[in-house]
Amino acid sequence: MNDCPNADVRDLLPDLLHDRLDEAMRAMVESHVQGCADCRAELALLRDVRAALRQTPVLNIAAITAAVPSYRAPVRRSWVGWRVAAAVTLVAAGGSSLLVMQRDVPSYVDSPPVAVTPVRGTSTPLVVVPDAHAVAVAPSVEAPAGAVARVPRTRDDSPVAQTRASGSRELGMAGSSLTDLNDRELASLLEAIESLDALPSTDVESAPISPIAPRRGTP
Amino acid sequence: MTDDAEGADEPTDLDLITRWKGGDQRAATLLVERHAGAVARFASSVGAKGDVQDVVQDTFVRAFSSLDSFRGDSSLRTWLFTIARRLLLDLRRSERRRGEQVEVQEHDAFTEYDSLDSVVAEETRTRMHAAVARLSKTQREVFMLRVSEGLSYKEIADVAGTTEGAARVHYHNAMRAIKELLDE
Repeated sequence: MNDCPNADVRDLLPDLLHDRLDEAMRAMVESHVQGCADCRAELALLRDVRAALRQTPVLNIAAITAAVPSYRAPVRRSWVGWRVAAAVTLVAAGGSSLLVMQRDVPSYVDSPPVAVTPVRGTSTPLVVVPDAHAVAVAPSVEAPAGAVARVPRTRDDSPVAQTRASGSRELGMAGSSLTDLNDRELASLLEAIESLDALPSTDVESAPISPIAPRRGTP
Repeated sequence: MTDDAEGADEPTDLDLITRWKGGDQRAATLLVERHAGAVARFASSVGAKGDVQDVVQDTFVRAFSSLDSFRGDSSLRTWLFTIARRLLLDLRRSERRRGEQVEVQEHDAFTEYDSLDSVVAEETRTRMHAAVARLSKTQREVFMLRVSEGLSYKEIADVAGTTEGAARVHYHNAMRAIKELLDE
């Protein structure tokens, strides 16, 4: 069996078989087929193949229709509830963040300096600023001009607080030598040291000592 | 079994879908009766064997469960073929995992013949089946959809997940192979 050289018409033969061509196209194809032995043979072959292949397996239609579910309209998800929940979460998270920030941020920025004392050996005063976190540590070198040392912020003006602030200030100034301090300054320094919370304990922990068993064979 | 066609007086598929959505379960039955045979033939052509009934049933259950996603861009039958094809692919994969033989002969699933078959000689029918069975899987699928079901290349491309051009090439290669096999 040969192929017709008119590939366009051959392409439409299955559509002619299934009556899927519009009027004009059908007339054109039928006209060609009438005068073309190859296309007639191919169309006949398609009919035979179709007939042979259209054997339908046995089906239990009742079982299929019984399994078909009834219609259920799709449930439309409401986005309003999600939006409200998201907004509440956002506000709660934002409020918590603000509270945490207000608690943690040192407020020395808008607080006045607690004391101004000239640094020994320099003509520039050292400004001591209250700070909730900073721990005044004596620098190993002389404080630079205009240096700012932070001391724990005190909200009251009690003598103890003033003394601590003063001690911290003196501690910050004790860069050169402890022998230069007078008795009052030393007392303040000691008091300031005692007031520090983060000093490591120097006590030796008494760990239980277990007796060492002698090895076998060793004298 | 009513098969092919929406006749002139018959309600269209979309009409029946609308009626089914309105609570008319009889409309679903009409749709099943109209398309089940074609789905079964297609399923058989692409490898369903003794489980054609299950494949067809699952196809309709899935189709009706997601009929809201059917937009009518293609025909309902094309859409059903697409679902059946996916089901069979899943079935083949699971069978392959279990090590079962999945390649079947074309006529294995046929146990009943309609009246048209009586006019076709048994010998011719056997030769046709043999010729089609020797096509590649893709050629057989495309050829069946084109010749047996009358789908356009565009519809075949939708079902088989390929392009119109590729579907056309597969069809003509299949046609040439069948001619050669029948001429032997």
